[in-house]
Amino acid sequence: MTAAEHTKPTTDTNAAEPVFSVRNLWKVFGPKADRIPANPECAELSAEELRARTGCTAAVRDVSFDVHKGEVFVVMGLSGSGKSTLVRCLTRLIEPTSGAIAIDGEDVLSMDKSRLRELRRHRASMVFQHFGLLPHRSVLDNVAYGLEIQGVGRAERRAKAAEVVEKVGLAGMEERRPGQLSGGQQQRVGLARALAVDPEVLLFDEPFSALDPLIRRDMQEEVIRLHREEGRTMVFITHDLSEALRLGDRIALMRDGRIVQLGTPEEIVGSPADDYVRDFVRDVAREQVMTVRTAMRPADDARETETGASVSPDATVSAAIEAVARTGEPARVMENGRCIGIVDHQGLLAVVAGLGPSDQKAVAA
Amino acid sequence: MRMNTGNTRNTRVLRTATAAAAALGLLALSGCGAAETGKSQEAGDKKTVKLTVPSWVGAQANTAVAAYLLEKELGYTVKTQQMGEVLAWDALSKGDIDGILEDWGHPKEEKSYVDTKKTVVRGGDLGVTGHIGWFVPKYFADKHPDVTDWKNLNKYADEFKTAESGDKGEILEGSPDYVTNDDAIIKNLKLNLKTNYSGSEASQITAMKKYAKAKKPFLTYWWTPQWLNAEIDMVEVKLPEYKEGCDADPKKVACAYPKTPLQKFFNADFAKNGGKAAQFLKNFKWTTEQQNEVALMIADEKLSPEAAAEKWVKANESTWKAWMPKK
Amino acid sequence: MTAAVTAPPKDRPAVTAGRFAAVVRHRAGRKLLALAVAAFVLVPLGAALWGGGSWPAGLTVDVSGPLDDANAWVIDNRESHPLFLYFLLHLSNTATDAVDAVYNGLDSLGWAGFAAMGVLFAWRAAGLGRRGAKTAGIAAVVFAVCGLLGMWDATLLTIALMVVAVTVASVLGILLGLAAGLSDRFHRMLRPVLDTMQVMPAFAYLLPFVLVFGTGTPAALFCTVIYAAPPMARLTALGLRGADAGVLEASASLGAGGWQRLWTARLPLARKEMLLGLNQTIMMALSMVVIAALVGAGGLGEEVYSALSTVDVGKALAAGIPIVLIAVWLDRTTAAAGERIGTSVPGGSRLLHGWRAWALVAAVTAAVAAANRALAPLTWPEGWTYDISTPVNKAQDWVTEHLASGIPVLGGTEVWSENFTLWVLNPLRDGLVWLPWWALLLTVAALAWLVGSWATALTSTLAMGAIGVLGVWTKSLDTLSQVIAALFVTLLLGFALGIAAARAGRFERWMRPVLDAMQTMPQFVYLIPVVALFGVTRASAIIAAVVYALPAVVRITTQGIREVDPSALEASRSLGAGSRQQLFQVQLPLARPALQLAVNQGVVLVLAVVVVGGLVGGGALGYDVVKGLSRGEMGVGMTAGAAIVCLGLVLDRLTQPGAGRSRGRNDG
Repeated sequence: MTAAEHTKPTTDTNAAEPVFSVRNLWKVFGPKADRIPANPECAELSAEELRARTGCTAAVRDVSFDVHKGEVFVVMGLSGSGKSTLVRCLTRLIEPTSGAIAIDGEDVLSMDKSRLRELRRHRASMVFQHFGLLPHRSVLDNVAYGLEIQGVGRAERRAKAAEVVEKVGLAGMEERRPGQLSGGQQQRVGLARALAVDPEVLLFDEPFSALDPLIRRDMQEEVIRLHREEGRTMVFITHDLSEALRLGDRIALMRDGRIVQLGTPEEIVGSPADDYVRDFVRDVAREQVMTVRTAMRPADDARETETGASVSPDATVSAAIEAVARTGEPARVMENGRCIGIVDHQGLLAVVAGLGPSDQKAVAA
Repeated sequence: MRMNTGNTRNTRVLRTATAAAAALGLLALSGCGAAETGKSQEAGDKKTVKLTVPSWVGAQANTAVAAYLLEKELGYTVKTQQMGEVLAWDALSKGDIDGILEDWGHPKEEKSYVDTKKTVVRGGDLGVTGHIGWFVPKYFADKHPDVTDWKNLNKYADEFKTAESGDKGEILEGSPDYVTNDDAIIKNLKLNLKTNYSGSEASQITAMKKYAKAKKPFLTYWWTPQWLNAEIDMVEVKLPEYKEGCDADPKKVACAYPKTPLQKFFNADFAKNGGKAAQFLKNFKWTTEQQNEVALMIADEKLSPEAAAEKWVKANESTWKAWMPKK
Repeated sequence: MTAAVTAPPKDRPAVTAGRFAAVVRHRAGRKLLALAVAAFVLVPLGAALWGGGSWPAGLTVDVSGPLDDANAWVIDNRESHPLFLYFLLHLSNTATDAVDAVYNGLDSLGWAGFAAMGVLFAWRAAGLGRRGAKTAGIAAVVFAVCGLLGMWDATLLTIALMVVAVTVASVLGILLGLAAGLSDRFHRMLRPVLDTMQVMPAFAYLLPFVLVFGTGTPAALFCTVIYAAPPMARLTALGLRGADAGVLEASASLGAGGWQRLWTARLPLARKEMLLGLNQTIMMALSMVVIAALVGAGGLGEEVYSALSTVDVGKALAAGIPIVLIAVWLDRTTAAAGERIGTSVPGGSRLLHGWRAWALVAAVTAAVAAANRALAPLTWPEGWTYDISTPVNKAQDWVTEHLASGIPVLGGTEVWSENFTLWVLNPLRDGLVWLPWWALLLTVAALAWLVGSWATALTSTLAMGAIGVLGVWTKSLDTLSQVIAALFVTLLLGFALGIAAARAGRFERWMRPVLDAMQTMPQFVYLIPVVALFGVTRASAIIAAVVYALPAVVRITTQGIREVDPSALEASRSLGAGSRQQLFQVQLPLARPALQLAVNQGVVLVLAVVVVGGLVGGGALGYDVVKGLSRGEMGVGMTAGAAIVCLGLVLDRLTQPGAGRSRGRNDG
């Protein structure tokens, strides 16, 4: 199977115009790197073989995807999978080797320096794992830094920065230096700095992996809140599966530079594309991710469609379990006032046990 | 590897910066045309006189007295600068200094600057006669009177032995500034001696004082006039007599050093346009004893040169009155 | 006077030391075997081809003739040639004018105005508050002592020279550092140049500048600038290169252009290193300004130098103390400013912040200067001076008289110096001279190969060969023997004192100011007492070198031992190791990189004083340089200077810890 098969958008939850559109993107490090993508032989090789054969490392290999307006697009993978390189290619912080990137339909790779600078200044800004704050500046001036680079006047940019500082919950710390803040607070500054320029897209590069678990949770809530309030498009890089499942509308799972699966959290957990993904999602609490839609079966008869508790098809399996356990009988799945299916304890348990639809049949038979 | 785009940008910044710096530099230099050579900047009756201060005290005495009189009697400002002799000649030619008051003979420089380039002019005798020679302390000469003949030096070589000279006798040498033929003399006279270059007059004097205090025998390259002679009695060892031209080939020298009437030299411009100051310095002439008197005040009583000059001037009015330019 | 620029390379010694040692032993074993084979072939070959003895005359090139010609050409053409008219004379006139202008400016402030400026400057730069007050207090004492010693005017001139020299050197250093920090290629080009410059003794800089500019302020100023600029360049480049890549990326991600990134991120991030660079540049400029008195710099250096001609140790000391004090003032001020970076916490009155505080400094200075002009003479009041030279001279006489000889059992300094010369120096020199020249070249190549790579061997051998080609083989070996002897003494004393200081905090506190003063005190000051004690011998030159090099060696040793991983020490203590066992089994082995660095530094510093040794009977190359300087014999002087640089390169390469690796430097 090739990566392209998986990278076709499989759901149409947000069928709007893509913000980022990436096609056949390669990033190869090493001597004569530009020859690798064009060479069909190389495409077949594994990462180690490629390095042994050519001395090159392909950090991103033939990747294609779209990021839709308003969605949170998560790129997930272990370290070395090429996810950080990928996100840097989007604004050409790392120059891609080949492929195509478009933002709102405009070709990024053909942009000249000033156009590219324009892109970075106004359309996409980034939050970094290690914050990247200027240690010699106050919180306020750090937040205003992006505006300063744009050439916004001092008073105006400080006013705007003060607003954003308030928004990320750092009010009262404007005059502190980054060195006097905790990790979580520093990342709030990083977030505020990215927000201050009011970008179309926010790019996050493992923003919370350097933080303590509790603070990480807070920050995730913060991102969810911001997304809910502003509906900004976000591209989020992480190596933490639970974070990806929590935040992502769609998730691209990367391994050795390739996207091995792209889909909603439910698709990833519910129908892993290969053993690698399956292995990856094995320990996930599936009832938290899977929706009732996957667990339901068609109603056997009319009686079933009329009685029992009703659940929404987008509710999680754990919610349905609660309903079924309380009533002791199957629950109806209601959408727009119509019963579209039934969930019973057998179907729900199959989801929790991680059995696919085919396994389920085998058991039933 | 993340600095990919960064690097090309750095290079550009760098190139722009280099170009800008180069352009600025060129502008700054070419914009103002040819530079002053420093020579003709203050013609006429200028009020500042620049004199060199050689490293030895005798010459410091000249400068101190001349400077004192120029400032107190003629109303000039005097700037003094310490420098090596040959360097002073060069500075004199450039006009960085106006006069050398005591020169022990630099035939090469004299030929080049005075005769060829004509940037320096002779200023006449200082009145003091200098003489270089080999000396032993008087306490040693008293005990062994025949040491004062070079032919007997080998007999005493053992007495002059030090760790530095090994199995030969040591002859102490002075600052590299001073003209010396000693290595040639030793070789050509077949003496069992070895030169030890003390590297500066200060360390030579320190060593001599140390020997004298312990009444140890020593042999040294030395000269008169020298203020230390008033403190340690020195006796000259007679070398084969100096004859005109016997020191022409530095490798074949086997004779004593000549007696040198010490000379004054002035910058040509200064001599012509220096007004009263130039006139005064040309007239400046005194005796070995007078120079020694001031030198001793500086070196031994540790008076500052100004204080020593003041003391001498107050006591010797008749002498310096004669140097004053005629009205 | 400052700590090492960068810590000595530490490759996780605790973990890798054992394995590393095994590898080295193994590799060294193989290398030794190869060398034995090579020697077996080459030695008989060399003996058959060239026999023994000194460098063959046929293989020398006379460079002093052309150099003398160049000198003559400069003298003949400097008033007519366009190179001078349109370039060099502009430089030298600008230099003279700049120094004069600064001097007149400082002078017009009056003594009170200037002192107020110096004190307030220290207060502001050190960050106000308590720390600022302490630094300001030091400044006040410094100026008071300079005035009291009757050195006010000389101090002023030296500071004027320093202001101009440090400004120009910093700008030059920053530009070079910027270039090296931003461009890898330039960095690769610049590094060996800076390395070589750091090996060059200060004296070797003087002659070329005298050749071009003649004596006087310009030559003094320019050689100071060239001498002092390298640390600034090195540390600026280090700061720029070491800048947090994450911050730079963040800046780029926000769309900053190259210039914006430089101004808003790169340079501010490198501030700490740059300030350390400034600190070192100041210290180096100060030492050079003093030495440059030999070519007409004026100021305190000339006071020291002229005191020498009357053998007036007291007066030399009176001029030397202000130099040490200026060093203390500038060192403490810049060091305090450096520590402040990144830690400043706003607080106190708004009047005392940022530019307002600087404005306050300027205003108070102006007010004091005006008051001074109106009420008192501009120069330091004559009555307020104290003459230290008489008591100092008396004390010196007493000491030298009693220590020089006649001490029961110990014998006295004179006896020591005689024995040292007879039993150490002479055999060493004679041995080196006796060695056939090709054998020495082979030895150098073999040693260099053992400690480093074939590249090290090549550089060292070429440098050693260059000495022979220059025609100063025997003299250089004489100098080499002195360097080796001095290094030996320095390391012996340095390691002993360093270990003692590392183990006894009180001893270190007591010793530190002494070491600092020893290193900043101009060498001329202690030459006379040294001659009085040890006589006109090479031993005196060696003592001078030891005194100069000792502080750095002690400091690096102490630091190295102090920085030994405390957990390793704890582990050994938990195993019941005694204090001696701890020292020899844990501290010293783990501090090995630092000790190697100390050896390397010792070599460089000892060599730097070899020339000064020429002034007290060291002879050899040092004497030639001094001779070239004072007699204007460029050929002799510069040949000897070049030989010293070559010798420095050889010794530096042979003692470099882990050749090819980046290393820290202590420039004092």
